[in-house]
Amino acid sequence: MPVDTFEKVYLPNIERGETEWLEEYRKQGGYEATRMALEMAPEKIVEVVKDSGLRGRGGAGFPAGMKWSFLPKGVYPRYLTVNADESEPGTCKDRPLMEQRPHTLIDGIICTCLAIESELAFIYIRGEYYNSADIMQKAVDEAYEAGLLGDDVLGSGRKVHVVVHSGAGAYICGEETALLTSLEGYRGYPKLKPPFPAVSGLYGKPTIINNVETIVSVPFILTKGAEWFKSFTHERSTGLRLYSVSGHVNKPGVYELPMTVTLREMIYDYCGGIRNGHDLKFVIPGGSSVPWLLPDQLDTVMSMEGVQAAGSFLGSAAVMVLDHTVCPVWAVTNLGAFYRHESCGQCTPCREGAAWMHKILLRLENGQGTMEDLDTLASIAGDGTPNTGMISGRSICALGDAAAWPVGSALKLFREEFEEHVKLGHCPYKNKRYWMADGKFVNETFEHHPAWGH
Amino acid sequence: MPSERLRTLPILGDRIGEIEQICAKYPERRSAILPVLWIAQKQEGWISEDAMKEVAEVVGVTAAEVYEVVSFYTMFHQHPVGRHHIALCKTLSCAVCGAHEVSAYIREKYGFDAGKSISRDGRFSIEEVECIGACTEAPAMLVGEKLHGDLTPKSIDDVLGKLD
Repeated sequence: MPVDTFEKVYLPNIERGETEWLEEYRKQGGYEATRMALEMAPEKIVEVVKDSGLRGRGGAGFPAGMKWSFLPKGVYPRYLTVNADESEPGTCKDRPLMEQRPHTLIDGIICTCLAIESELAFIYIRGEYYNSADIMQKAVDEAYEAGLLGDDVLGSGRKVHVVVHSGAGAYICGEETALLTSLEGYRGYPKLKPPFPAVSGLYGKPTIINNVETIVSVPFILTKGAEWFKSFTHERSTGLRLYSVSGHVNKPGVYELPMTVTLREMIYDYCGGIRNGHDLKFVIPGGSSVPWLLPDQLDTVMSMEGVQAAGSFLGSAAVMVLDHTVCPVWAVTNLGAFYRHESCGQCTPCREGAAWMHKILLRLENGQGTMEDLDTLASIAGDGTPNTGMISGRSICALGDAAAWPVGSALKLFREEFEEHVKLGHCPYKNKRYWMADGKFVNETFEHHPAWGH
Repeated sequence: MPSERLRTLPILGDRIGEIEQICAKYPERRSAILPVLWIAQKQEGWISEDAMKEVAEVVGVTAAEVYEVVSFYTMFHQHPVGRHHIALCKTLSCAVCGAHEVSAYIREKYGFDAGKSISRDGRFSIEEVECIGACTEAPAMLVGEKLHGDLTPKSIDDVLGKLD
């Protein structure tokens, strides 16, 4: 593990896994940002956040301060919604943030509410995060008791209320318009944009939606300054970032790093390299939705611009690392099942496209596919870049693109292996054994289990 | 004040006070539909048609609208489950770290007949679900409301063996 020359601020003690309750947060100078924000004009807070270059940490990377300035003037009430529906496969950094730094999030919510002149904020937490919701609710209760939340924030006469709201299992609700529809008490169907939520969002009112990590960044930016935030910069990506690294690295985990880090440093220096000395097969650099990277792209800088230059997206900074035992056809079939299940079913290209892609992938992986299937698959999925194939760019929300890109990308990068499945009539990776060593499950390759539906 | 009638509802009746507090947090009452469904599921372990009718009455929508919502969200059970419900992640990061073996192990050791999701003794139910956000501690599962990661045969037995 390299010696870091920077101070970790988001999750400095992640391995301890302790919750920082109000008393402890205050000892560390907590809610200083709220005190500063109460003294500042709303436009000034927006200005500082704009100046920091903070971009959304949920996936799209939209500049946060600019989003806030899209609110129509003089229209109230306005709502803030914190997107804690962390569901992009590979991503699990908002959970430790909520479970370990709940008051930093509330501090950020108050600052953001003051900036955008909102008196009511919602934290929409995915249903599976029972513990995060419990901890956030307890922290919110503490904040109310301490007069940090309520009708008179720290005696300032300003109102900020926070509601903790649990989802119930739907990937699509991480999409901002679907999240709002769900919060209104409906099926989580996305809506066409425009109008953007900043103009017409929750209950038709101007609404700002930001990811947990984005909101948690705000107190640090206010107390440490925009210049501090910009001291970690690669092109237009500023600040430290939480990377969730999973899969076949020796030390998977959530790593707080400047976005100047390369993929090689991340995997081999921080995460201890690939398990059992295996070779790297491919990397999914930004959550399951993004195109894949190959071992010859290890020098990719893990910033938004760096990953884009390599032909993919940083997305939610969820890095999935797969070694040479992983069949790429099997892997993309696994993801195909995910998108087929999670498509909300509202619009045709995604609902039908995700299902057909998965059906064809299953056929190919099971050795019953044909060469024609590969062409059909490519015609649906495209080549892993935006607006290619029959789904990407044609659906109401980005889930369509998310379903198509990994398939198009896998087909482009591993065409020969797809063809091998057809020629052999079975998956070349199949029929090896699993074994258990040291009481830990180890799988050298994959076998299909009836319980998994494929 | 909630009407006396709501207090007599067989499933939600004794939770009406709490439900009214929840409803009051939202600018529009319909937003409480998910939290009230969570309470209904806690009361019975799953969400029956009777429960949906009660939720409809409490929130002020039709039963059809409640069904529309229930059937959209995968965590709402429309059928009875075991005394302890296991949601085992099957998405890529967990799948490449042994989720298949975890599934096979639990299903064999804890008495599940092939293709069934409830164990023979009704003690457990299992569902292989999409990503539960525990990718860095794969393979992972939720047992009830509690997350367990880095699963091994021993850790699985430690968790499941203690449950009645």
